[in-house]
Amino acid sequence: MNPFIERYFLEPGREFFQKLLQFLPNLFSFLIIIAVGIIIANILRLLCVRFLKIVQFDRGCERVGVDQMLKKGGLRDMPSHLTGRVVYWILISIFLIMALNSLRVPSVEQLMTRFLLYLPNVFVAVFVAVMGYLVGNFLGRAALIAAVNAGIPFSRPIGQAVKAGIFVLALTIAMEQLGIGRSTITVAFAILFGGVVLALAIAFGLGGRDMARDYLERRLSGPAEKKENGDDISHI
Amino acid sequence: MESVILRRDIRQRIDAIGEADILVGIPSFNNEKTIGHVVQAVQAGLHKYFPDCRAVLVNSDGGSRDRTREVVEQTTIDNFQSILLAHRVKSFHKIVTPYHGIPGKGSAFRTIFEIAAALGAKACAVVDSDLRSITPEWMDLLIRPVLEGGFDYVAPYYLRHKYDGTITNMIVYPLTTTLYGKRIRQPIGGDFGFSGKLASFYLEKDVWETDVARYGIDIWMTTTAIANGFNICQSFLGAKIHDAKDPGADLSAMLHQVCSSVFTLMDEYQEMWKGVRDIEDVTTFGFRYAVGLEPVNVNIDAMIEKFSLGVRELGVVWDAFLPRGVLWFLDSASGNGREKFVFPDDIWVEIIYSFALAYHEKVMHHEHIIRSLTPLYIGKVAAFVIETWEMSSEEVEERLEKLCRTFMDFKEYIIERWE
Repeated sequence: MNPFIERYFLEPGREFFQKLLQFLPNLFSFLIIIAVGIIIANILRLLCVRFLKIVQFDRGCERVGVDQMLKKGGLRDMPSHLTGRVVYWILISIFLIMALNSLRVPSVEQLMTRFLLYLPNVFVAVFVAVMGYLVGNFLGRAALIAAVNAGIPFSRPIGQAVKAGIFVLALTIAMEQLGIGRSTITVAFAILFGGVVLALAIAFGLGGRDMARDYLERRLSGPAEKKENGDDISHI
Repeated sequence: MESVILRRDIRQRIDAIGEADILVGIPSFNNEKTIGHVVQAVQAGLHKYFPDCRAVLVNSDGGSRDRTREVVEQTTIDNFQSILLAHRVKSFHKIVTPYHGIPGKGSAFRTIFEIAAALGAKACAVVDSDLRSITPEWMDLLIRPVLEGGFDYVAPYYLRHKYDGTITNMIVYPLTTTLYGKRIRQPIGGDFGFSGKLASFYLEKDVWETDVARYGIDIWMTTTAIANGFNICQSFLGAKIHDAKDPGADLSAMLHQVCSSVFTLMDEYQEMWKGVRDIEDVTTFGFRYAVGLEPVNVNIDAMIEKFSLGVRELGVVWDAFLPRGVLWFLDSASGNGREKFVFPDDIWVEIIYSFALAYHEKVMHHEHIIRSLTPLYIGKVAAFVIETWEMSSEEVEERLEKLCRTFMDFKEYIIERWE
């Protein structure tokens, strides 16, 4: 055979064929892992949804306000189905990573390693944001009720401010965890928070001087002053 | 919580006393000014009415920082003839002990129950340590129905100003009466008589690490006695005058303490109260008489203002569990001045039942549910005061019976919705 053809066509062709033969088992295992992953993910999704229905997860979510949060975010699915889908995609991601690793392609392996190292940050950030929303809701409602019972005229803005403040704090922590604009967000939050506190201090200091004086006078002059309000009802 | 009778000093004291027929418990916390009078009244009452019984007084103290315990130990009646009494024959002992566990009246009572059980007491009574109106006759009225009448539980029946005890009048009395079918006028009175058998029954209950240990012991004792078929009666004790309450005491905290206890007990005894359709009077002991009561000042305008503020701001919370019709009424009522301000009984009953259902279904955190009741309760009290301003005490009592009937008329409402 012509050495030219042998050197420039047949030899590379044989090498390619040999590499293809070496790669084929990896590709085959990639496809098998993906297929098994899809089956397992589907089964576990169904089991997860069924389990959550048994423990009345949807009702619990409704009570703590998660349901409302999802609806506000445009998600109409029930929380149990949504959790099932999250479980499904987490499992698919895990099997995809395993499958890609099975290909033994160095660049893909490197990419996967970096992705895997970053993944915990995503989970932590999501967890912090969700917890921030729930705690914000809880404390916002507590502040609203306490303010109303204390007779503060505009109680709702107080509740909303507590809720928003906690959620913004949680989002800041989540963003920092993800490494997005780390210093910018921290500085922006510090300026915003410091500004709000300063504004409140000035507002209360200037606007509430008389109220503070009256309050202290009432406290220090003892219960006799209570008669001014004229309420002696003993409730129990 | 460690059992108090396992403590060596208390064990020795109990062994030294041996047995007792009557045990009177006084829970205390910083009551040096009033507890001496209570101890004297108890001692005089036991001498006068039960001279042949072996009696023990137990002071269960919550760690007072004043001289409360010293006062109890040192107080005695030196000259019995000055109060027209002969010396008693049988023994009278005192046990003064701090209680352990969760701070609260419930833990103090547990200590009293334990000592009563260890001494094999036949009849017991508990009285508050801040009472100024207690007389020796209270001992007779709280203990004799148990010792001689075959009753297990004696609830107090006081004369109170028509605007005194409004949580009792507006919520606890009508709700407890309707649910459990026994007309106990003061279910959270604080001073009770009970048999040794009932004290042992209370001790067996696994509630001493819950809110019952902190507060709510009064309604828990009353409800547990009724729901478990113990023989109940009440005794007319006259006026109840106690030490001035802390002026800073938070109304919403009080409401939370009382209502959370009542609603929790509704969960526990749901099978019992669902079957009750009639209200029975219970036997009442004691000679009824009229007493002059201190006037109570009420600022109706401030109360209506608090109600209106609550309606303006708390709609977002109530949306989750109050019926549409009630929310509509609240909106319309919040704009009214005192001349037009009314709060119909049926709306009030629907509100209380809806709060009980929300608590049962855990619609949100229980403290948020109950504390958000405060402005509505204030509104109902304001309307009640406006309506009854010119009424005598007897007429007010009749008015409260009408409220009880409305609670009973709407009972099906809560039964249908209770899962």
